[in-house]
Amino acid sequence: MRILLAEDEHQLSHVVVTALTSQGYSVDPVYNGQEAVDHAKQNAYDLMILDIMMPVKTGLEALREIRATGDRTYVMMLTAMAEIDDKVTGLDAGADDYLTKPFSLKELLARVRSLDRRNGSLDRDVLTFADLTLDDNEQTLSAHNSISLTNKETRLLQYMILNADKQLTVADLLNHTWDDDDESADEEDVWFTISYLRQKIKSVNSKVVIDGEKGGPFTLKSH
Amino acid sequence: MDIYGEFAPTLTAILNELEQRLQSLNQLQADHHQPKLYEHLIGRVKTPDSMAEKCQRKNYPVTTESALERCHDAIGLRLVCNFIDDIPRCLHQLHEADWCQIVKEKDYINNAKPNGYRSYHVIAKVTMPYKDYEGHKPGQFYVEFQLRTIAMDSWASLEHEMKYKHNIKNPERISKELKRCADQLASCDVQMQTIRHLINEEN
Repeated sequence: MRILLAEDEHQLSHVVVTALTSQGYSVDPVYNGQEAVDHAKQNAYDLMILDIMMPVKTGLEALREIRATGDRTYVMMLTAMAEIDDKVTGLDAGADDYLTKPFSLKELLARVRSLDRRNGSLDRDVLTFADLTLDDNEQTLSAHNSISLTNKETRLLQYMILNADKQLTVADLLNHTWDDDDESADEEDVWFTISYLRQKIKSVNSKVVIDGEKGGPFTLKSH
Repeated sequence: MDIYGEFAPTLTAILNELEQRLQSLNQLQADHHQPKLYEHLIGRVKTPDSMAEKCQRKNYPVTTESALERCHDAIGLRLVCNFIDDIPRCLHQLHEADWCQIVKEKDYINNAKPNGYRSYHVIAKVTMPYKDYEGHKPGQFYVEFQLRTIAMDSWASLEHEMKYKHNIKNPERISKELKRCADQLASCDVQMQTIRHLINEEN
């Protein structure tokens, strides 16, 4: 993971950099809000840690500018103790998490590890169920043979594999497979995608089946 | 005289005869308002040169007997279908035909080859009003039928092109792309098939 740390207190910055580096993360320290904006523009980070009270530009101003460029990197704010408004403003401005000062290094490192795990689990792109292998990266399904899947088929099957043997309603499937911007998606979309998947599972000669009638619920099972 | 000897004209005659029989089976479906069995039909008698080459490769003596009795694809017919479901329909017709006895079937559709090749191969013995190698009349002749969809057929043409080009710079990469493409075409075949089912269910 590559981390941007914006903290104007040199002593504190030094301690945090040392701690993070010792865990194998690579850290770019900067000392005011403007530098944070400039670095965010130039480099790809996995995490940005921004102090709120900084010279030239505050952490909040920097965060707003960074988000305005379309940057969606995970951001953790460092706020002064008891400043509830700071936390709320920070989260509303696009921060993902915050730590109150003074914070313990132990907690900071635990939060970074948690983020690292989450990123890692999203990258884990090969799922298996019974004799089926779903490769999210290649969007292929294989058992005895292999076949390509569309993006929707991949996401639907991914969700069904992670929830195998459970009854899943059409609403469940719509919520987890179709984006919010795809509001026109309905029961028919689910039915078509299920129908395609059934034939594709059959065509790779797998013993896995999707149970359920039009209208749901649907269950992924192995014979 | 080539490897087929006196049988060369017979093989061409059988091929023509078989093409006519398959065409009339296809017509029969149309008469009953059923979808076509196949979209098009390609037939060929294997050239004497490649038959001789095949016998050598298999360590058979280069004789008419090897060409007609040990090799089974002197006469080849390819039935190219619109949809996957048409393939079992064609197969059913071959099983039902009284002039055709199925010897061997290889299902490379449900068991695609590792390179992505998909097709259904049938070796059959057909009974035809000509004298065969053993002197019987009507005689029995081996024929190879290949059944596949249009998508599988175009893929096979592309793969064939690559196989016979020896100066390809990065064959592994091309093979990988071909395999990926085969999976995508299989995906389209299945999708078209499913849509066809859904349309028919609604009626």
